Amino acid sequence: MYEFNFNRPASIADALTAIADADDGQFMAGGQTMIPVLKQRLAMPSDVVELANIDDLKGIAVDGGTVTIGAMTPHSEVHNSLEVADAIPALADLAGMIGDPHVRNRGTIGGSVANNDPAADYPAAVVGLGATVVTDRREIAGDDFFVDLFETALVEGELITAVRFPLPDKAAYMKFPNPASRYAIVGVFVSQSNGDVRVAVTGAGPCVFREVAMETALAADFSADAVAGISVSGDDFNNDIHASAEYRAHLVTVMAKRAVIKAG
Amino acid sequence: MNNVNIRDSVRRTEDIRFVSGQGTYIDDMNADGQLVGMFVRSPHAHAAINGFDKTDALALDGVVEVITGADWAKLGFGFIPSNSAVKENTDGTPIAVPERSCLAATRVRFVGEPVAMVIAETLDAAREARDLVEVDYAPLDAVTHPVKALEPGAPQLHNGVDGNLCVHWELGDGDATEAELEASDHVVALELHNNRVTAAPIEPRGTLAIPDMETGVTTIYQSTQNIHALRAAIAKILRLENDQLRHVAPDVGGGFGGKNSLYPEPVVTVYAARNLGRPVKWVNDRSESFLSDTHGRSQYTTVELGLDADGTFRALRTTTIGELGAYCGTVGAFTPTGGSARTQGGVYAFKAMHYRARAGFTNTAPLDPYRGAGRPEGSFQIERIVEKAARDLGFDPIELRRQNIMPKASLPLKTAMGLDVDCGDFLTVFEKTLAMSERAGFAARAAKSEENNKLRGFAIAPYLECTGGMPKEHAIVTFSKNGAAHLAVGSHSTGMGHETALCQILSAELGLDMDHISFTQADTDATPLGGGHGGSRGMELGGNAVRQTADEIVAVGKQIAAYQFECEVGMVDFEDGSFFQPGSNNTMSVGEAVSASFNPDALPDDLAPGCMNIGSTFERGVISIPNGCHAAEVEVDPDTGVIDVIGFWIVDDFGTIINPLLADGQVMGGVGQGLGQAILEQAVYDGDSGQLVTGTFLDYAMPRADDMPHMTLDYYEGSPTEKNPLGVKGAGEAGCCGAPPAIVNAVLDALKDHGVTHIEMPMTPEAVWRSIHLT
Ligand SMILES: Cc1cc2nc3c(=O)[nH]c(=O)nc-3n(C[C@H](O)[C@H](O)[C@H](O)COP(=O)(O)OP(=O)(O)OC[C@H]3O[C@@H](n4cnc5c(N)ncnc54)[C@H](O)[C@@H]3O)c2cc1C
Repeated sequence: MYEFNFNRPASIADALTAIADADDGQFMAGGQTMIPVLKQRLAMPSDVVELANIDDLKGIAVDGGTVTIGAMTPHSEVHNSLEVADAIPALADLAGMIGDPHVRNRGTIGGSVANNDPAADYPAAVVGLGATVVTDRREIAGDDFFVDLFETALVEGELITAVRFPLPDKAAYMKFPNPASRYAIVGVFVSQSNGDVRVAVTGAGPCVFREVAMETALAADFSADAVAGISVSGDDFNNDIHASAEYRAHLVTVMAKRAVIKAG
Repeated sequence: MNNVNIRDSVRRTEDIRFVSGQGTYIDDMNADGQLVGMFVRSPHAHAAINGFDKTDALALDGVVEVITGADWAKLGFGFIPSNSAVKENTDGTPIAVPERSCLAATRVRFVGEPVAMVIAETLDAAREARDLVEVDYAPLDAVTHPVKALEPGAPQLHNGVDGNLCVHWELGDGDATEAELEASDHVVALELHNNRVTAAPIEPRGTLAIPDMETGVTTIYQSTQNIHALRAAIAKILRLENDQLRHVAPDVGGGFGGKNSLYPEPVVTVYAARNLGRPVKWVNDRSESFLSDTHGRSQYTTVELGLDADGTFRALRTTTIGELGAYCGTVGAFTPTGGSARTQGGVYAFKAMHYRARAGFTNTAPLDPYRGAGRPEGSFQIERIVEKAARDLGFDPIELRRQNIMPKASLPLKTAMGLDVDCGDFLTVFEKTLAMSERAGFAARAAKSEENNKLRGFAIAPYLECTGGMPKEHAIVTFSKNGAAHLAVGSHSTGMGHETALCQILSAELGLDMDHISFTQADTDATPLGGGHGGSRGMELGGNAVRQTADEIVAVGKQIAAYQFECEVGMVDFEDGSFFQPGSNNTMSVGEAVSASFNPDALPDDLAPGCMNIGSTFERGVISIPNGCHAAEVEVDPDTGVIDVIGFWIVDDFGTIINPLLADGQVMGGVGQGLGQAILEQAVYDGDSGQLVTGTFLDYAMPRADDMPHMTLDYYEGSPTEKNPLGVKGAGEAGCCGAPPAIVNAVLDALKDHGVTHIEMPMTPEAVWRSIHLT
């Protein structure tokens, strides 16, 4: 770790001021990605602005049509929330598949989507449900939020305050975990809302994406058979010691099929 | 009163300490005035070093000293030794043991090799300084694959070592084996790979060296398995006498062979502490652990099995290429040669066997023993070729094994590999395992799997291994007047529970209250002699040393009792903690004998006060032959290639079971590592850059609790060995001998209708999926 100033603001306004005043400031949520990066001296921020004391960034609110999750809400809280389980069971299910209990107790939805790890799970839910990322200054559609490998639509100093999910008619997430890291080698989130179908794929490529051919097929016939025959191209997929691009492409179809079955 | 017996499942006394955070590991220890050391490690797999510049590092606040490879070379210390039991090639020439300096001065040969040490007042300053040491490297071509390293034209690692070859070696009768193979109706051959793995102990390696400037003695606290041998090695390198060093291993968080070797870092740490006159502490972080701990396995092998038309085995030939990494480790050339050859052929009878090995250098971390150190490799080789033969030739794999297992009546015998198999009942152990494994319900379970689009498979894998490690062990019992006993033993637990088992033996032998026995291990001041931990020697050597010491204590106690009973010593018996004279009312408890042993008036002339305090060295005659049988039932998802190990059954013959609970722990842990090797773990180096790809747990797949199957265990105690007084056979490494072939063969059984006959370890989901869909 290099030396940095450590700030612990208690309000969103103070957090934004702290970042604005810093030479090279960075927000910290649960530190699950930040701390290892700092420890390995891969980053050298002048200031770390910890968000843990800001109550306005925490908590889960369910109203008629949406579930809104504060940026600092840990994965375990989403997983264990009866309200989320009731409104969008697939989301509670997904949160429970992230990492291990320690990670779920510290890692947050804001940190996860801001980080945009290609193998992270939440991006699949954000895109797969057509959610909205709410920041201190605007609302960003899930479809526009994830730009590329570790890259999002956030501008410098922009703070995610919450993620807002519309309620689907049905949805499910299937994850094929990496045997070593347990991140997603491939994760597929499917949802259906008023006949509108979304299929979001994480892990396979550099960034979460929608599998349009499957969405079209499922819109016509929401069944496993409808996607079973659709093979996706692995041309731009990740290729590493755990899974080749070709295998990942195969898994997208298998996981999509299983997600459709799970969604019921 | 907590009186315990052999075979009691006494719960681990050390666990209270471990699970309540009161264990003492190196990083928990700090000394007054302590400095922090860190190592600068090579970022290159292979490079010449043109020079060092430590000016900036030394200029940093808080930095006390920087020792570069060039500085070290000038000090003129010795090299890291390698003590392979195999010292000669087949042709009688010596094996190649290249010099290995503690800090590389002119050339680096693997990523992570230490080139300099920085010593600072704080960890932060040390870390900062580490980045400021400049090393001028000129990168060279690297080779990280053991087979490629031996090919002509491969980058050469060491001057004077032709073709990167360390050793070429054989065991058995090559001509007889050739003749038997020719006479065989069938010869089945298979190429296979024992994948390269790393132990990844939960506690990384570390050392705290505390010099005493008055006495000149430096106390070394180290996370190691092997204090006595390594003290001597460190002393030799630094040109010191053994008694200038006291070597202590506090609680050690796992070793698995990886902490057996002498590494460079502790040597330089000891030097730095002595030179600076201040304690110096160095602890590896996890990344350094991946890079710089010794790795294990890594053999590319061809196995050939010759059989008669009726399935009777005739001959086995194994031709292997092993890997040593950049240098010879402490055990070095032995693992892929003698270590793997001795137990070739497993529990089966052969007319002839022949083992040939070549092992060479690669630009990777050195390889040294990893739990089993050759026997798991051998066990995998034989069980895979037997399975292959059954499949290829249409024999039932269970029947083919049953037919060829060495009959009990043929024992004792010496195998064609020279292994002295004194006892065992391999067929009974095999049948017991089979009976336990619920074969009757298999067809129904397989049908159920099929309904769910899954494939179910089963395999059974008997194994035969042998113990090893240093042949002597010392135990010392010291009583206090109130009867409490202190036991110090030179062998060494790195978590496996000797503190419990060895005290249990003493308690059982002497009828002492287990709660009144305290324990010390791994301190050269407390035990003058010891063999560390390795080769499943804990009970065979340590246990028997305690037993022998207890016997000698009883002998003295009998003299004390006879003196009081006023009878001949020969008339005194001992049982359940009391001395007595049969046919009389004379009795004396151990406690009474102990207090008498401190009272000159209660002792015969030839005994002095304290005479029951006894230290004794046990020496092993011949290594024992643990054996057993594993069986696995698996379910494979053909759409993804995922393997689920559903059932696992084990019967082990470890001779006398001292403590079943501890034995279970050893077996289960070994199965965990075996399962890891079979389906998860693999240390991968990039072929071009020589970088370690699996440098974190994000990429190195350690087994987790939910990867483990439910295991059903039993022991066969029907043939205790007479090779040692306790009749024990060593339990530590068996688990990873049986598990890989059982799991791999069960997966292949599941895939048999898909024409899949072989998949290399680790059987990753993709490898399984490919074998189903792309063969
Ligand atoms: C061992 C381990 C296993 C894991 N397994 C999984 C897994 O299986 N699946 C998975 O999806 N994830 C996994 N993760 C990731 C984890 O779940 C976290 O989501 C991730 O590490 C982010 O952590 P965090 O919330 O603590 O954010 P931090 O690490 O604190 O921050 C991460 C990044 O986000 C930025 N940031 C944080 N909050 C905000 C905000 N409100 N607005 C703007 N920027 C912000 C930070 O500046 C930083 O750049 C794993 C992590 C670990 C350590």
